[in-house]
Formats: sequence, C-alpha cells, structure tokens
Amino acid sequence: MSRKQSFQVQRLSRSGVAWQLFMQVAGLAAVFLLLGWVFGNMGWWLTLGLSLYLFLQLRNLWELDRWVRFRSVLHPPDLSGHWGELTALIARIYRRKQFHKQRVANLLREFRRLTAGMPDGAALLGPDNELLWFNQKVERWLSLKRKRDVGLRIENLVRYPAFVQYLERGDFSHSVTVLQSDAQQRWLSMHLVQAEGSKQKLLIVRDVTHEIRIETMRRDFVANASHELRSPLTVISGYLDALAEDTELEKTWQEPVREMRRQSERMRALIEELLQLSRLENSGDMSDSQVVDVCGLLTFLRKDVLSLPVRPAEINLQLDSDVCLLGAETELQSVFANLISNAVKYTPNEGKVMIRWWQDPDGGHLSVSDTGIGIAAEDLPRLTERFYRVDAGRSRDLGGFGLGLAIVKHALQRHDATLTIESELGKGSTFICHFPKERLAARDVPIVVT
Amino acid sequence: MEKADLSHHILSRFNADLERLRTSVLQMGGLVEEQLTNAVQALVNGDTAAAERVVGNDHRVNGMEVSIDEDCNRILATRSPAASDLRLIVAVIKTITDLERIGDEAEKIGYIGSRLATMERPADRYREIKHLGHAVEQMLHHALDAFARLDADAALATAKRDRMVDEEYEAIQRQCITFMMEDPRSIRRAIDVLWVARAIERIGDHAKNICEYVVYMVHGKDVRHIRIEDVEEELKSRSRSSAS
Repeated sequence: MSRKQSFQVQRLSRSGVAWQLFMQVAGLAAVFLLLGWVFGNMGWWLTLGLSLYLFLQLRNLWELDRWVRFRSVLHPPDLSGHWGELTALIARIYRRKQFHKQRVANLLREFRRLTAGMPDGAALLGPDNELLWFNQKVERWLSLKRKRDVGLRIENLVRYPAFVQYLERGDFSHSVTVLQSDAQQRWLSMHLVQAEGSKQKLLIVRDVTHEIRIETMRRDFVANASHELRSPLTVISGYLDALAEDTELEKTWQEPVREMRRQSERMRALIEELLQLSRLENSGDMSDSQVVDVCGLLTFLRKDVLSLPVRPAEINLQLDSDVCLLGAETELQSVFANLISNAVKYTPNEGKVMIRWWQDPDGGHLSVSDTGIGIAAEDLPRLTERFYRVDAGRSRDLGGFGLGLAIVKHALQRHDATLTIESELGKGSTFICHFPKERLAARDVPIVVT
Repeated sequence: MEKADLSHHILSRFNADLERLRTSVLQMGGLVEEQLTNAVQALVNGDTAAAERVVGNDHRVNGMEVSIDEDCNRILATRSPAASDLRLIVAVIKTITDLERIGDEAEKIGYIGSRLATMERPADRYREIKHLGHAVEQMLHHALDAFARLDADAALATAKRDRMVDEEYEAIQRQCITFMMEDPRSIRRAIDVLWVARAIERIGDHAKNICEYVVYMVHGKDVRHIRIEDVEEELKSRSRSSAS
C-alpha cells in the first residue's frame, strides 16, 4: 500500500500538476484572447482573465496554507481540481505518518510497561557510562529518579567500589555482587552487557538476597553439623581405642570392637574432610599468602606414599623447576596429597605413578599421572562434585568419601588455579593443576644438598 | 536552581579533566562509605578480621586524597579556571580533606572494634552504636549524592540532620556514664564505646561540611558557621528576586 502511494506522489509531483497547470493557463489565455478579439481590446481582456485566475489560485493556496498550518487533518478544505487532489494527498501522507507515530508510541508504552513489571532492574548506559534510561526496579533499588538523574554518570551515583572497579575493568563476563548498607541489607547482583561494536551498555540488576541467605545457611549448617558430630565421636573412638587394646577382652568381642574402631576412624576422617571443605568455602579471598616450597612438599608427600604397605611399584617424582608458590601451605598440601593419594588408590600394585612440577611462560604446572583404571568420559564433568563417585562400591572399599576432588577444586580456586583431567578407561589418568604466573615466587633460599 | 554546567568549555580536554575530577572524588567517597559501613558492621558483629581489614584499607583512602589533590593543583596551574570551575576545584580540595578525615575516623572505629571484639559484649549488642552509625551512613550517602547531582536543596536538607546525630550522640554519652557509675568494671568498655560514638558523630560533622561545599559550589555562597534556616531563607529570597 505504501509503495502504491509513494508512486502516486512521485507521478503527481513530477509531471502531473505542472503540466496540467500549464495546460489550464494556456487554455484560459486562449479563451480570453478570443473574447478580446471578438469585443476588441485584447490586452485588457487577457489581463482581466489572468488576474481572475491568479485570484482563484491564491485563494486556494491560502485555504491550503491555513489547513496545513492548523493541522485539522479530519477536516480538509473543500477545494476543487488539482488543489483538491493535492489536499487529499497531503492528508493521506499525514495520516500515514500519524499512524506510524501512534504505533511506535504504543510499542514504547508497552515496552515501558513490560520493563516496569520485570523482576530485574535494567538500565541503559551511554558511552561515558551516563544513564540514558532505567526502569522502576532500578529506580527503587539504587534510589535514582528519572527526571533528576538521566544524563548523570552512573559511577557518580552508584559508588560501590566493587562495582566501579567492575565498570572500569571492562571485562563483563561475570557479574559483581554488592551489599546495600541501608535498612533492608539487600544484596544486588550487577551484570553489564555490551553488544559487539556498540558503545552503549545494558546494566541488569538482580536482587540476590534470598540466594545469598540460603547459601550462607547451607554453609553454616554443614560447618555446625560436622563440628557438633565431632565431639561425641571423639569420646566413642576414645573408648573403642581403650577396648581394642584390652587384652582381657573376650575373643568373640575382639573382632567387632576392631571393626567399630575402624568405622569410627572412617567417620572421623569424613568429618575432618567436611570441615576442611567448609573452611575453604567460608574463608573468602586469600589474605594469608606465604611462599610455599613445592619441591620440598612433593618430596615429603612421596616419602609418605613410599612408606605405605600396599602401593604401586613405581612412584616417580620429576622436579623440572625449583620455583615456589604463593599461597596457603596447608591448602596446597591437601591439594597435592589428595591428587597423589587418588592416583595411588586407583593404580594396581604393578602400575606406576608419575609426579611432575614444571614452569613455562603461562605459569607453574603440577601433574600427577598414573597407569590405573582411568575414568570414563561421561564421569569427567561431575568428578569434582562433592560425594560423587564413579563406582560407589569400589571407592568405599578403598576408604574414599568423594570429597577429595571437591576439596582440590575449592582450594585451587582460591589460588586462582585451574584443574584439567585427561583420562582413558583402563589406561590411566592425568590430573594437572595450572597456577598463574602471578602466583609463582622465586626461591630466595637455595636448596642445600645434604 | 542554576545547575553548574560542566560542558560549556570549548576545550573538551578541560571538560574531561573536570568531569574526571568529580568522578574520582565520588569514587573516593564510595570507598569511604564502604569503610564506614564495614567498620560499624565489624564492631556490631564483633568480627575482628573485618575490623582489621578496615584498618588495613585506610591507606587506599589516603592515596586517593593525594592523587586527587595533585590533579587539582595541576588544573589550577595549567588552566587557571574561573567562576564556577574555580568553585568546583576549591570545593573538591575541601571535600577530599573531609573524606580523608572520615576515613581516619572509620579506621579508628575499626581499631577500637577489633579490641572490643575480644571483650564481653553488652546485653544490647551495641544497638545504639548501630543506629547512630546507620544515621551517619545515610547522611554521608546523601551528601555525596548531592555532590554528584549538584543539588543544593538536598545538601541543605542533609546538613540539617546533623543536629539529630548530635542529639543521639549525647544520649549515648549519658547512657555510658550511667553504665560506668553502676558498674565500675565496665568503664574500660564504656570508654571505648564513647570513643566510637564520638568518631561517628565527627563523621556526621564532616558530612555536613561536604553539604556546605555543595551549596558553595552551586550558589557561590559560603554557608559555614551560619544557621541552616538562615541560609535557606536567604537562598529562597535570592531565587525570588532573580525570578522577578
């Protein structure tokens, strides 16, 4: 429809009006010239005719002008001939424009209404981080006002240092969470989205108070429960220890007591691991970094493994670098010990375990590979979940709880490190920890060979 | 109300400099706000680690003050600003001094907080301190908002709240004296609580100062040591005369 209309507009504006007007004027001039020829005085008659024509045209023009000026589209003036056609055309264009305007306005109103009802807050930021638009949720949560604050920079009004840092860093791959210190104690998660090539940014604000509260509750529960379980267990295992060593105990009771002692020992180990895990979760960022001698630690751990009665025949340690790590020694020790003890546990006695520590431009790497039973590909992604075991029966026999790799994951996260696992069923597995180079520290004391 | 228009300079570099200056003052303000909130929170919760973190972070506030001060000196020397720009720079120089002092007071609260955490906690769990701290946090927040929006009316409204903070401080003082008379063993703790209340009250005064600088920046009128009602009256009559 619109194409047809624009076609008409073109036809009229190009040749229609001009040519027909010319024909009209020429025809009129000819008629009055004829009258002048009949009655004599041709010049006067011609002037009279043209003046009359000019007057009519001017009157029409004035009508049209008044109509366009006051824009009463519904009441176009009743003009004859080409003027009428022109009026109709203008009215049509105007109506069409108004129709589109109305549609856009409706769309915008609908959009506003929708964004107001959105559970999340949204704000649009310009190239200088100035506020261009925001919805009611943002208005309420960040106490902004649309009339007052549009055009102001967001970092001047939302001044949480964590958020400002996030805004400046320009890496919007994850969100940042801030705590509002007013009466509600609301946790807000802020996420910036920037489209490729666009200078504008979209800020999405979510109220995550509920999630954070649940997460805290879960952590507190695990920490408290394990702590409370530990005290009675200490008493039980104390008595069991005493009983097991009692030589006067009846023969029939000796074996059950020994079994009870073993199980209570297992329970104690499980609670220790749970406590360790909750400690890792609860302690926020690393504040107590110290220089950890990886070589010494690994040598020590290997010696521990070598003293085991049942173990793989070969346990090799290859130290290609003597670089140290910045971190918490107890946590790193538990990472390495867990990886090594896993390898030892799942490798048959004739197999071999290989530990290697090396450094490259990316940072430091520790790998623990074995020639054990390996892990199926579908189990790999879930391996670091707590209490996840590939084969529950077998791993329980070996004394595992499925917490070891969860501890490894959390401890490595706190050291900005990542874990990669390569494995083939039946051939063996390789666990590699990658530490970033910011975490490496040169050894200040040379190794003393004794 | 006349809004200071920062984008009227032909030199866009100058505009950018002024804009950046304002933003960095507000960033420093944000850091100070966080310090204050964390310090009060740590004291109320008896969290030694959090209190020590506040003490350890104070150097960041000091560092920001020095760098903003240098920026101001550089702008004064190279651009020789006039009128509203000069007022902005002067207000910034004064504001960062007050912000730095607030940072110091927050550090002091953190320091006392880590000491109080080792002592027995009173039955009311420092409810008054929490309340006073909350009022002053809000005051500081609104003062900085007024600075960001160049809103003199909001600044005056915020400055008025200082009186309420002072009254609350007096109440805490009286309460502490009562505690001390009742039980001499609590004197040590009561004195520490008094110090904290005093520090928070001082922060309220600094926030009030910032509000006064905002009025100075917007209206070019020094309103220190004048009753706020008088200031409001004068500004109202001024706007009436300028309107007629």
